[in-house]
Amino acid sequence: MLLAMPLAGIQERPSQDGDRPAAQAPPSSNAIDRWNQMSPEERERELAKLPPARAKQIRQRIQRYNQMHPEEQQALRERYQTFSQLPQEKRQLVRARLREFRQLPAERRPIVHREVEQMRLLPEPQRQARLNSEDFRNRFSADERQIVRDLSTYLPN
Amino acid sequence: MNCPIESRDPEMLVALCAGQLDLKTAEALKQHLAACAACRSVAAEQAVVWKALEAWEAPVVSPDFDRRLYRRIDEGARLTWFARFLRSFREMPLRQALPLTATAGLLLMAGFLVQHPIIVAPAAQRQDSVRANQVERTLDDLELLRQFSAAGSASESAHPDAM
Repeated sequence: MLLAMPLAGIQERPSQDGDRPAAQAPPSSNAIDRWNQMSPEERERELAKLPPARAKQIRQRIQRYNQMHPEEQQALRERYQTFSQLPQEKRQLVRARLREFRQLPAERRPIVHREVEQMRLLPEPQRQARLNSEDFRNRFSADERQIVRDLSTYLPN
Repeated sequence: MNCPIESRDPEMLVALCAGQLDLKTAEALKQHLAACAACRSVAAEQAVVWKALEAWEAPVVSPDFDRRLYRRIDEGARLTWFARFLRSFREMPLRQALPLTATAGLLLMAGFLVQHPIIVAPAAQRQDSVRANQVERTLDDLELLRQFSAAGSASESAHPDAM
Protein backbone atom coordinates (compact mmCIF):
# COMPACT_ATOMS: atom_id res chain seq x y z
CA MET A 1 0.00 0.00 0.00
CA LEU A 2 2.86 2.27 0.88
CA LEU A 3 4.43 1.51 -2.47
CA ALA A 4 1.24 2.35 -4.25
CA MET A 5 0.98 5.75 -2.63
CA PRO A 6 3.40 7.57 -4.87
CA LEU A 7 1.36 6.51 -7.86
CA ALA A 8 -1.73 7.99 -6.26
CA GLY A 9 0.00 11.34 -6.27
CA ILE A 10 0.42 11.37 -10.01
CA GLN A 11 -2.49 13.06 -11.65
CA GLU A 12 -3.24 13.75 -15.26
CA ARG A 13 -3.83 17.43 -15.95
CA PRO A 14 -7.04 17.83 -17.89
CA SER A 15 -6.48 18.62 -21.54
CA GLN A 16 -7.17 22.19 -22.63
CA ASP A 17 -8.17 20.94 -26.04
CA GLY A 18 -10.54 18.08 -25.68
CA ASP A 19 -11.39 17.59 -29.32
CA ARG A 20 -7.79 17.25 -30.42
CA PRO A 21 -5.97 13.89 -30.15
CA ALA A 22 -3.20 14.10 -27.53
CA ALA A 23 -0.87 11.79 -29.39
CA GLN A 24 2.68 13.03 -29.68
CA ALA A 25 3.92 13.95 -33.13
CA PRO A 26 6.33 11.37 -34.53
CA PRO A 27 10.00 12.35 -34.48
CA SER A 28 9.92 12.89 -38.25
CA SER A 29 7.04 15.35 -37.98
CA ASN A 30 7.32 18.73 -39.64
CA ALA A 31 6.62 22.13 -38.11
CA ILE A 32 2.95 21.95 -39.11
CA ASP A 33 2.47 18.60 -37.39
CA ARG A 34 4.13 19.96 -34.27
CA TRP A 35 2.01 23.11 -34.52
CA ASN A 36 -1.11 20.96 -34.63
CA GLN A 37 0.05 19.27 -31.44
CA MET A 38 0.30 22.55 -29.55
CA SER A 39 -2.62 23.72 -27.46
CA PRO A 40 -4.93 26.34 -29.01
CA GLU A 41 -3.71 28.84 -26.40
CA GLU A 42 -0.09 28.30 -27.38
CA ARG A 43 -0.92 28.64 -31.05
CA GLU A 44 -2.85 31.84 -30.50
CA ARG A 45 -0.01 33.22 -28.37
CA GLU A 46 2.37 32.64 -31.25
CA LEU A 47 0.02 34.07 -33.85
CA ALA A 48 -0.61 37.13 -31.73
CA LYS A 49 3.01 38.13 -32.33
CA LEU A 50 2.23 38.63 -36.02
CA PRO A 51 0.14 41.27 -37.80
CA PRO A 52 -3.51 40.12 -37.81
CA ALA A 53 -3.70 39.73 -41.59
CA ARG A 54 -0.64 37.49 -41.64
CA ALA A 55 -1.89 35.46 -38.68
CA LYS A 56 -5.21 34.98 -40.45
CA GLN A 57 -3.44 33.83 -43.60
CA ILE A 58 -1.42 31.27 -41.63
CA ARG A 59 -4.58 29.95 -39.94
CA GLN A 60 -6.23 29.51 -43.34
CA ARG A 61 -3.20 27.82 -44.89
CA ILE A 62 -2.89 25.38 -41.99
CA GLN A 63 -6.58 24.64 -42.25
CA ARG A 64 -6.15 23.84 -45.95
CA TYR A 65 -3.17 21.61 -45.15
CA ASN A 66 -5.16 19.79 -42.49
CA GLN A 67 -8.03 19.30 -44.92
CA MET A 68 -5.86 17.67 -47.56
CA HIS A 69 -6.63 14.10 -48.46
CA PRO A 70 -4.69 11.90 -45.99
CA GLU A 71 -2.80 10.07 -48.72
CA GLU A 72 -1.86 13.28 -50.47
CA GLN A 73 -0.82 14.82 -47.16
CA GLN A 74 1.31 11.80 -46.29
CA ALA A 75 3.06 11.86 -49.68
CA LEU A 76 3.73 15.56 -49.27
CA ARG A 77 4.97 15.06 -45.72
CA GLU A 78 7.41 12.39 -46.88
CA ARG A 79 8.69 14.54 -49.72
CA TYR A 80 9.12 17.48 -47.38
CA GLN A 81 10.93 15.26 -44.87
CA THR A 82 13.53 14.35 -47.49
CA PHE A 83 13.70 17.94 -48.72
CA SER A 84 14.30 19.25 -45.21
CA GLN A 85 17.27 16.92 -44.81
CA LEU A 86 19.09 18.48 -47.77
CA PRO A 87 21.96 20.83 -46.91
CA GLN A 88 20.85 24.45 -46.57
CA GLU A 89 22.33 25.61 -49.88
CA LYS A 90 20.66 22.73 -51.73
CA ARG A 91 17.33 23.54 -50.13
CA GLN A 92 17.64 27.13 -51.28
CA LEU A 93 18.51 26.00 -54.78
CA VAL A 94 15.50 23.66 -54.91
CA ARG A 95 13.24 26.43 -53.57
CA ALA A 96 14.48 28.83 -56.22
CA ARG A 97 13.91 26.31 -59.02
CA LEU A 98 10.45 25.39 -57.71
CA ARG A 99 9.52 29.09 -57.72
CA GLU A 100 10.78 29.40 -61.28
CA PHE A 101 8.82 26.30 -62.17
CA ARG A 102 5.70 27.91 -60.72
CA GLN A 103 6.22 30.95 -62.94
CA LEU A 104 6.33 28.85 -66.12
CA PRO A 105 3.33 29.11 -68.44
CA ALA A 106 0.64 26.63 -67.41
CA GLU A 107 1.03 24.60 -70.60
CA ARG A 108 4.78 24.14 -70.04
CA ARG A 109 4.59 23.00 -66.42
CA PRO A 110 3.38 19.41 -67.07
CA ILE A 111 6.01 18.99 -69.81
CA VAL A 112 8.85 20.19 -67.58
CA HIS A 113 7.48 18.16 -64.66
CA ARG A 114 7.41 15.00 -66.76
CA GLU A 115 10.97 15.59 -67.91
CA VAL A 116 12.17 16.01 -64.31
CA GLU A 117 10.43 12.81 -63.23
CA GLN A 118 11.84 10.85 -66.17
CA MET A 119 15.33 12.18 -65.59
CA ARG A 120 15.22 11.15 -61.97
CA LEU A 121 14.66 7.56 -63.01
CA LEU A 122 17.74 7.50 -65.24
CA PRO A 123 21.14 6.27 -64.05
CA GLU A 124 23.53 9.19 -63.68
CA PRO A 125 25.54 8.67 -66.93
CA GLN A 126 22.33 8.47 -68.94
CA ARG A 127 20.89 11.48 -67.17
CA GLN A 128 23.99 13.49 -68.04
CA ALA A 129 23.82 12.31 -71.62
CA ARG A 130 20.20 13.36 -71.82
CA LEU A 131 20.96 16.78 -70.27
CA ASN A 132 23.65 17.34 -72.91
CA SER A 133 21.60 16.03 -75.82
CA GLU A 134 20.49 18.06 -78.80
CA ASP A 135 16.91 16.92 -78.31
CA PHE A 136 16.86 18.24 -74.75
CA ARG A 137 18.27 21.60 -75.86
CA ASN A 138 15.71 21.87 -78.63
CA ARG A 139 12.72 20.99 -76.50
CA PHE A 140 13.40 23.23 -73.52
CA SER A 141 14.36 26.85 -73.01
CA ALA A 142 17.50 27.73 -71.06
CA ASP A 143 15.44 28.46 -67.92
CA GLU A 144 13.53 25.20 -68.26
CA ARG A 145 16.75 23.25 -68.77
CA GLN A 146 18.14 24.72 -65.57
CA ILE A 147 14.98 23.76 -63.70
CA VAL A 148 15.12 20.21 -65.04
CA ARG A 149 18.85 19.91 -64.34
CA ASP A 150 18.64 21.05 -60.71
CA LEU A 151 15.35 19.45 -59.74
CA SER A 152 16.28 16.09 -61.23
CA THR A 153 19.50 16.29 -59.22
CA TYR A 154 18.29 17.53 -55.87
CA LEU A 155 14.53 17.28 -55.55
CA PRO A 156 13.68 14.32 -53.33
CA ASN A 157 11.57 11.51 -54.70
CA MET B 1 -4.61 47.41 -62.25
CA ASN B 2 -5.19 49.53 -59.13
CA CYS B 3 -2.07 50.76 -57.38
CA PRO B 4 -1.60 48.41 -54.37
CA ILE B 5 -0.30 51.29 -52.25
CA GLU B 6 -3.12 53.67 -53.13
CA SER B 7 -5.70 50.95 -52.64
CA ARG B 8 -4.03 50.07 -49.34
CA ASP B 9 -3.24 46.53 -50.37
CA PRO B 10 0.55 46.31 -50.03
CA GLU B 11 0.18 42.58 -49.32
CA MET B 12 -0.04 42.21 -53.10
CA LEU B 13 3.56 43.38 -53.39
CA VAL B 14 4.63 41.00 -50.64
CA ALA B 15 2.83 38.15 -52.39
CA LEU B 16 4.52 39.05 -55.68
CA CYS B 17 7.98 38.86 -54.10
CA ALA B 18 7.02 35.57 -52.45
CA GLY B 19 5.94 34.21 -55.83
CA GLN B 20 2.47 33.55 -54.48
CA LEU B 21 0.48 35.36 -57.15
CA ASP B 22 -0.98 33.58 -60.11
CA LEU B 23 0.70 34.26 -63.42
CA LYS B 24 -1.93 36.69 -64.69
CA THR B 25 -2.00 38.85 -61.56
CA ALA B 26 1.80 38.77 -61.32
CA GLU B 27 2.12 39.99 -64.93
CA ALA B 28 -0.39 42.79 -64.37
CA LEU B 29 1.40 43.85 -61.20
CA LYS B 30 4.79 43.79 -62.91
CA GLN B 31 3.41 46.08 -65.61
CA HIS B 32 2.14 48.40 -62.90
CA LEU B 33 5.56 48.36 -61.22
CA ALA B 34 7.14 49.62 -64.41
CA ALA B 35 4.99 52.75 -64.16
CA CYS B 36 4.79 53.24 -60.38
CA ALA B 37 7.97 54.27 -58.55
CA ALA B 38 6.40 53.92 -55.08
CA CYS B 39 5.35 50.32 -55.66
CA ARG B 40 8.68 49.58 -57.34
CA SER B 41 10.50 50.85 -54.27
CA VAL B 42 8.36 48.75 -51.90
CA ALA B 43 8.84 45.67 -54.09
CA ALA B 44 12.60 46.23 -54.16
CA GLU B 45 12.73 46.54 -50.37
CA GLN B 46 10.59 43.43 -50.02
CA ALA B 47 12.93 41.55 -52.34
CA VAL B 48 15.84 42.46 -50.05
CA VAL B 49 13.88 41.17 -47.05
CA TRP B 50 12.98 38.00 -48.94
CA LYS B 51 16.61 37.42 -49.83
CA ALA B 52 17.64 37.86 -46.20
CA LEU B 53 14.93 35.41 -45.12
CA GLU B 54 16.18 32.95 -47.71
CA ALA B 55 19.61 33.04 -46.15
CA TRP B 56 18.28 32.75 -42.59
CA GLU B 57 17.89 29.34 -41.06
CA ALA B 58 15.93 28.90 -37.87
CA PRO B 59 17.89 26.93 -35.28
CA VAL B 60 16.45 23.46 -34.97
CA VAL B 61 15.21 22.43 -31.54
CA SER B 62 15.34 18.69 -31.05
CA PRO B 63 11.82 17.16 -31.02
CA ASP B 64 12.26 15.63 -27.58
CA PHE B 65 13.79 18.72 -25.94
CA ASP B 66 10.92 19.26 -23.49
CA ARG B 67 10.75 15.59 -22.55
CA ARG B 68 14.48 15.45 -21.80
CA LEU B 69 14.27 18.69 -19.82
CA TYR B 70 11.39 17.41 -17.66
CA ARG B 71 13.23 14.16 -17.11
CA ARG B 72 16.38 15.95 -15.93
CA ILE B 73 14.33 18.13 -13.60
CA ASP B 74 12.69 15.02 -12.16
CA GLU B 75 16.03 13.26 -11.79
CA GLY B 76 17.53 16.31 -10.10
CA ALA B 77 14.70 16.48 -7.59
CA ARG B 78 15.01 12.80 -6.74
CA LEU B 79 18.77 12.99 -6.34
CA THR B 80 18.44 15.82 -3.86
CA TRP B 81 16.14 13.76 -1.66
CA PHE B 82 18.48 10.80 -1.85
CA ALA B 83 21.51 12.87 -1.09
CA ARG B 84 19.82 14.27 2.00
CA PHE B 85 18.95 10.83 3.28
CA LEU B 86 22.39 9.47 2.66
CA ARG B 87 23.97 12.38 4.51
CA SER B 88 21.71 11.86 7.54
CA PHE B 89 22.57 8.19 7.91
CA ARG B 90 26.20 8.27 6.82
CA GLU B 91 27.59 7.53 10.29
CA MET B 92 25.12 4.72 11.05
CA PRO B 93 26.03 1.02 10.58
CA LEU B 94 24.78 -0.28 7.23
CA ARG B 95 22.48 -2.94 8.73
CA GLN B 96 20.53 -0.29 10.60
CA ALA B 97 20.78 2.44 8.06
CA LEU B 98 19.44 0.63 5.03
CA PRO B 99 15.99 -0.40 6.28
CA LEU B 100 15.60 2.90 8.10
CA THR B 101 16.56 4.83 5.01
CA ALA B 102 14.26 2.84 2.79
CA THR B 103 11.28 3.20 5.10
CA ALA B 104 11.88 6.85 5.80
CA GLY B 105 12.40 7.49 2.12
CA LEU B 106 9.15 5.84 1.16
CA LEU B 107 7.25 7.65 3.88
CA LEU B 108 8.71 10.99 2.95
CA MET B 109 8.10 10.42 -0.73
CA ALA B 110 4.52 9.36 -0.08
CA GLY B 111 3.95 12.37 2.14
CA PHE B 112 5.50 14.70 -0.35
CA LEU B 113 3.42 13.32 -3.19
CA VAL B 114 0.23 13.66 -1.19
CA GLN B 115 1.08 17.29 -0.49
CA HIS B 116 2.46 18.03 -3.96
CA PRO B 117 0.95 15.73 -6.53
CA ILE B 118 3.04 15.38 -9.65
CA ILE B 119 1.16 16.97 -12.45
CA VAL B 120 1.68 15.08 -15.66
CA ALA B 121 0.90 17.38 -18.52
CA PRO B 122 -0.88 15.75 -21.44
CA ALA B 123 1.43 14.76 -24.26
CA ALA B 124 0.11 17.53 -26.45
CA GLN B 125 1.24 20.20 -24.02
CA ARG B 126 4.71 18.75 -23.74
CA GLN B 127 5.31 19.26 -27.42
CA ASP B 128 7.93 21.79 -28.36
CA SER B 129 6.35 25.01 -29.30
CA VAL B 130 6.78 26.04 -32.90
CA ARG B 131 7.15 29.63 -33.93
CA ALA B 132 4.62 31.02 -36.34
CA ASN B 133 7.25 32.13 -38.83
CA GLN B 134 8.70 28.61 -38.78
CA VAL B 135 5.24 27.31 -39.65
CA GLU B 136 4.93 29.88 -42.40
CA ARG B 137 8.23 28.87 -43.97
CA THR B 138 7.27 25.20 -43.80
CA LEU B 139 3.93 26.02 -45.42
CA ASP B 140 5.79 27.86 -48.20
CA ASP B 141 8.04 24.85 -48.81
CA LEU B 142 5.14 22.41 -48.67
CA GLU B 143 3.23 24.56 -51.11
CA LEU B 144 6.14 24.65 -53.56
CA LEU B 145 6.51 20.88 -53.37
CA ARG B 146 2.77 20.35 -53.67
CA GLN B 147 2.48 22.57 -56.73
CA PHE B 148 5.32 20.75 -58.41
CA SER B 149 3.76 17.36 -57.71
CA ALA B 150 0.37 18.61 -58.82
CA ALA B 151 1.76 19.71 -62.18
CA GLY B 152 2.08 16.06 -63.08
CA SER B 153 -1.58 15.34 -62.50
CA ALA B 154 -4.89 16.79 -63.56
CA SER B 155 -5.55 17.86 -59.98
CA GLU B 156 -3.52 21.05 -60.33
CA SER B 157 -6.32 23.03 -61.84
CA ALA B 158 -8.76 21.57 -59.32
CA HIS B 159 -6.75 22.87 -56.34
CA PRO B 160 -4.85 25.87 -57.66
CA ASP B 161 -4.44 27.53 -54.31
CA ALA B 162 -4.53 24.69 -51.84
CA MET B 163 -2.55 25.68 -48.71
